[in-house]
Amino acid sequence: MEKINIICVDDEREVLDSVVRDLDYLSDIINIEECESAVECLELLEELDANQEYVAVLISDHVMPGKTGVELLTEVEVDPRFLGTKKLLLTGLATQADTIKAINNAKLDNFLEKVWDPVELLQTVKELLTEYIVERGIDYDDYLEKLDAPTLYRLVK
Amino acid sequence: MKNNMKFILPILIPLIILLLPSSSFGIEGLTLVEQRVIAIFVMAALCWVLEPIPIYATSLLIIVLELLIISDQGLWFTKFESPELGELISYKVIMGTFASPIIMLFLGGFFLAIAATKYRLDINLARVLLKPFGQNPKYVMLGLMIITAVFSMFMSNTATTAMMLSILTPVLALFSQDDLGKVAFALSVPVAANIGGIGTPIGTPPNAVALKYLVDENSISFGEWMIFGVPFVILMLAIAWFFLIALFPASIKEINLNIKGRFLKTPKAITVYVTFIVTILLWLMGGLHGMNSYVVALIPVAVFSMFKIITKEDLKKISWDVLWLVSGGIALGVALDKSGLAKNAIDAIPFAGLHPLLLIAGASLLCLLMANFMSHTATANLLLPLVAALGASMHGLLPYGGEVVLILAVTFAASLGMSLPISTPPNALAFASGHVETKQMAKVGGVLGIVGLLVTYVMLFILNQMEFI
Repeated sequence: MEKINIICVDDEREVLDSVVRDLDYLSDIINIEECESAVECLELLEELDANQEYVAVLISDHVMPGKTGVELLTEVEVDPRFLGTKKLLLTGLATQADTIKAINNAKLDNFLEKVWDPVELLQTVKELLTEYIVERGIDYDDYLEKLDAPTLYRLVK
Repeated sequence: MKNNMKFILPILIPLIILLLPSSSFGIEGLTLVEQRVIAIFVMAALCWVLEPIPIYATSLLIIVLELLIISDQGLWFTKFESPELGELISYKVIMGTFASPIIMLFLGGFFLAIAATKYRLDINLARVLLKPFGQNPKYVMLGLMIITAVFSMFMSNTATTAMMLSILTPVLALFSQDDLGKVAFALSVPVAANIGGIGTPIGTPPNAVALKYLVDENSISFGEWMIFGVPFVILMLAIAWFFLIALFPASIKEINLNIKGRFLKTPKAITVYVTFIVTILLWLMGGLHGMNSYVVALIPVAVFSMFKIITKEDLKKISWDVLWLVSGGIALGVALDKSGLAKNAIDAIPFAGLHPLLLIAGASLLCLLMANFMSHTATANLLLPLVAALGASMHGLLPYGGEVVLILAVTFAASLGMSLPISTPPNALAFASGHVETKQMAKVGGVLGIVGLLVTYVMLFILNQMEFI
């Protein structure tokens, strides 16, 4: 089985904990990483890349000290090493200008508002993970039971 | 109307050829099969020159038409027994061109290139190898050219150019608007890629096409090719470098190529490095282990598939169009040869009166000219079967090295066509950067083409004197 990661970035510990808790369903097939800042996330990305691990989904808050979430996601978007990594912005404090940037520059794959519905978050991440696995040509057999079936059918056919 | 001509001509002219009485070709005892081969050849030539359909589609069309009208399993009315019918070609031979050893050699090359790119061996090597060249624009350019040439010996010229230009583009943006150095840099990469392709049998498809005609006592191994190919590349690179820095001197004093990244050290990456090195060594040491380069080429294919280095998804990235383009050329050669047309036609035309040196110069100049306006591979596909048949029948050539000299001169000429953006995909990519004008490219490419041809002649003369070929 390939090593596939989902990274969560938020400067508030409690938020990270609850995101991880909501995604716990996926934790036996993928590795869920937590970062408390954009800089920490970029370092982690370097490390994962050096080990040739996949980064399927990057979930980021927007307003954080230092680099903002949109800046982080934009950097990942233009880096050819992370081609295809799905980007989800999870925030309650993005202005319209931020949102426009997030869509145009970071090519956001999904946008969820805080406070989020745990079921919706899990479902969204499942769909994004499925898309990533199929698009990158990873053997999906190993992950079948945890993937989103409708998305899988749509992409595989 | 002008637009329609490119569709009408490739259909009309071959049809006329098919319908003419066989006595009208001036070839004694021309069979029906041979006449059909002429029609297919003319159609191929027109399709590759006028490009009404993609060039690889022309290749597929050649193979399918051969199966339909000159194979032993073709359409019923093409097989009526008659004294004029001639020799039908086995369908297995025609289909076999898809998997000819030359295609397998290229497939192996593609696997190496895809794995090298996927595990960033190419970019990391470029980063390390560029360091010693410092920051003086002149030497950075020399470094870029050497690395581009070395890579294009093993990877496709186009992929190498794309990679090097992507490194170069941010740097070119720092040049002032009227700094001619920009032109030199933008041109240095495609020039080096085109020249570098000459260095090995897998460097560029025309070399592969040539291998089909370099058989038996004329065969050239991977290592032997490199013994003359690499010095040729070095000399041409030096000439190109001097020419570019003289023509387009840079006023910027310092440039900094910033390539990020580090060598991957995962087990898969290490497998790629080892396989890459071992394959090249096996290719070079052909005599020691008994495997020829075609057999060696399949080793990386098996290794990379086994270790999931090249996955199902990566398989889709293989340039099947290039492989098929070459297959079509091989099929064309097979048809000319097996039908007996090549021999008959050469016998009918009084080439014996022609001076052999005139033939070598004429054929290579024609090839250079064609390669400037159309695909290098298509040029080689069309010219090499004719040239090979001609060379084999001309005894006057023997003192000058025989058909090998003729074939190599034409093959090298095919790679030297690089004076226009449409000449080769690397040229087109460099032109797309917006830093080069067609005029400038034509000057550099034109001069290098002619100089390259002269260097080729000198090299072949020396090789012949040394009795190497």
